[in-house]
Amino acid sequence: MSDVLLALLVTVPLVAAIFPLLFGLRYENAGWPIALAGSLVVTGLAGTLAWEIFTASTETGQRLVHEMAGYPAPYGIELVGDGLSALIALLISVVSVAVLIYSRSTGPGSNAFYSGFLLLMGGLLGMTLTGDLFNLFVFLEIVGLITYALVASDDSGMAAYGALKYLFLGTVGASLYLIGVGYLLVRTGSLNMLDLQARLADIGYTEPLVQAAFGFILIGLMLKIAVFPLHTWQPDAYTYAPDTVSAYISALVSTTAAYALIRISFDVFTVDFFAANQLITDAVVLVASISIVVGSLLAAMQTEIKRVFAYSSVAQFGMIVVAIGLNSRTALLGAVIHLVGHGLMKATLFMGAGILSSAYGATTISDYAGLAKRSPITSGGIAVTGLALVGIPPSIGILGKWYIALGAVESGSWSVAIIIFISTLLTLTYVARIIETLYFNPPEATHEETAASESVEHVAVGDEAVADGGLETRVATERIVVVAVLAVSTVALFASVDLFTELLDPVFGRFFQ
Amino acid sequence: MSDEPTSQPDERMDGRVDTDGVARQRPVYTESQVIMTTVKAVIPFVMTYGLFITFHGADTPGGGFQGGAIIASVVLMIAFAFGIESTRAWLANSTVVGLGTAGVFLFGAIGFGPILLGENFLEYTAYYPVFGDLLGLKEYEFVKYGMEAVEIVGIAFIVSGILMGLFFALAAGDSHSEPNEADLREGELRDGVDSATFGGESDD
Repeated sequence: MSDVLLALLVTVPLVAAIFPLLFGLRYENAGWPIALAGSLVVTGLAGTLAWEIFTASTETGQRLVHEMAGYPAPYGIELVGDGLSALIALLISVVSVAVLIYSRSTGPGSNAFYSGFLLLMGGLLGMTLTGDLFNLFVFLEIVGLITYALVASDDSGMAAYGALKYLFLGTVGASLYLIGVGYLLVRTGSLNMLDLQARLADIGYTEPLVQAAFGFILIGLMLKIAVFPLHTWQPDAYTYAPDTVSAYISALVSTTAAYALIRISFDVFTVDFFAANQLITDAVVLVASISIVVGSLLAAMQTEIKRVFAYSSVAQFGMIVVAIGLNSRTALLGAVIHLVGHGLMKATLFMGAGILSSAYGATTISDYAGLAKRSPITSGGIAVTGLALVGIPPSIGILGKWYIALGAVESGSWSVAIIIFISTLLTLTYVARIIETLYFNPPEATHEETAASESVEHVAVGDEAVADGGLETRVATERIVVVAVLAVSTVALFASVDLFTELLDPVFGRFFQ
Repeated sequence: MSDEPTSQPDERMDGRVDTDGVARQRPVYTESQVIMTTVKAVIPFVMTYGLFITFHGADTPGGGFQGGAIIASVVLMIAFAFGIESTRAWLANSTVVGLGTAGVFLFGAIGFGPILLGENFLEYTAYYPVFGDLLGLKEYEFVKYGMEAVEIVGIAFIVSGILMGLFFALAAGDSHSEPNEADLREGELRDGVDSATFGGESDD
């Protein structure tokens, strides 16, 4: 059985990436329409893939396989689509379209940026769909290289600094991952994920080489995910990158790395590995728990808005990694939901912050004083998404956290449940601070001009929506619409838990057989 | 920012002061009869060697990546010998971008072909029923020549185009103050557009 959809999902964006450059020779603004067309095609393909898997009734039909070049599996490279990867592919394509619509007026507008954008999308989809460990490394490198370049596409020197820091640490992470894969290859002679699963079961999970391989892969991917002690590249990269790029990479790059860790942990090493190596399991839980608490604390201490969101990601990804260590089906369901939810929420928050920063130059929390009156829709979007991030129902934020905490309680790790609760409180402190500043603090008279205070009065009498569009003359309407739609989606997805369980059940059935 | 002090003269500065009062670096290019003559003598051989390496690779040592790099080094040598700006003028930017993009496009086309014929991505043997009689090749030979095709019109094009583009983009940082460092750091992604805008500037 061979499914062409999978090959198209990876290759279409990669090939489409040449056209912004090619047409850029003739037309100044060729990049955006091409990138949008490419993303829409990919969204269609990802939707079809998810639908095909969702509607496939038999157990075997829910795992689509494409053997590259027709070579059979353990020898050749195969692309695999199941419920889990289809979900991530759908997230990647939807966020790509949203970010592209957002980027139309704000840039970075060069054709090369859109080439990079499409390449990054192809790399992320490749990471999501590949069934081969070395192929995963190749796509990890593609994603890394493009991300460094996109972070540096801001004009400031700090962006270059952030990108360089990310380059050093990201390359170390990818290398560690490669060492781990090399150990596995040495011991088993295979790179195919499912084949490795069978071979590792024969060899035994307590062999030092296998343990070392997992250790290297874990640390390498944790660097890419940005879990606490290894997160240092991430706040700089997210803060100094252009707003569009911050939104895109914060929503997808770490997410896909976390997906890869979930995939390798449960599809290659399996739950038996964790059961046989209690020390490794405990270490994963411990490191991730520290990441949750420290990430939340650091986020609460920041004054710069993009840094708050960046450190908040450190905490959220701690929760996802902790779910891997918990070895519980419920917790893993929560982790996957949180992966998707966090992607949507962070994209919304960074895009909202981007609007406020380009409209009012507001980059710190204190700059946000009273902005809710001047741009009610964007502020509303940030507030709703912020509350979703805290985990106020109804939102997708509560779903993920709830299932992770529930899984922790089920497997007897009360401490993890308590840590998640503490982190929720800490998240509430920084989100509440943002919302309070937006809605209840008066605009600072010192740094506002008289014209600004006049316009505030103007807003007070005018219609809200008109005021939002009318005042932010420099902000295109579609940017606000994107933020609003995404913010609503984080709430609407609260109702989607059955959809998630149905898509993920066959996959988890394999993981926890 | 405008009253930025002129930087300390160090050994890299030749002491000349530009119209905007900033000390300039010594010119990148110095004409040298020795280098020009050597390069003229060497490049035919380097080019031949690059093509030789490119056309091997499926079942012999070599390959499109290495070959493409050697072919790109021909342009680099010409640039060092005859000046980067004149080489840039000689080798149109659209050629460089065209090389890179055509490589990806042809690679993609060779890969998508079998899908159109109902087989897997890059499955070369799918071409056998179509071109088998025409080319007089056996089915297994399609794998070998399929790989050769990808290496020659795909990878070699891409690598040589990207290397030339990177070289020109990095060199542009020296002679143009317009692009910022971020543009250059984007390297392979941005080279085409950067050079494209420079072309436009020099026309003015």
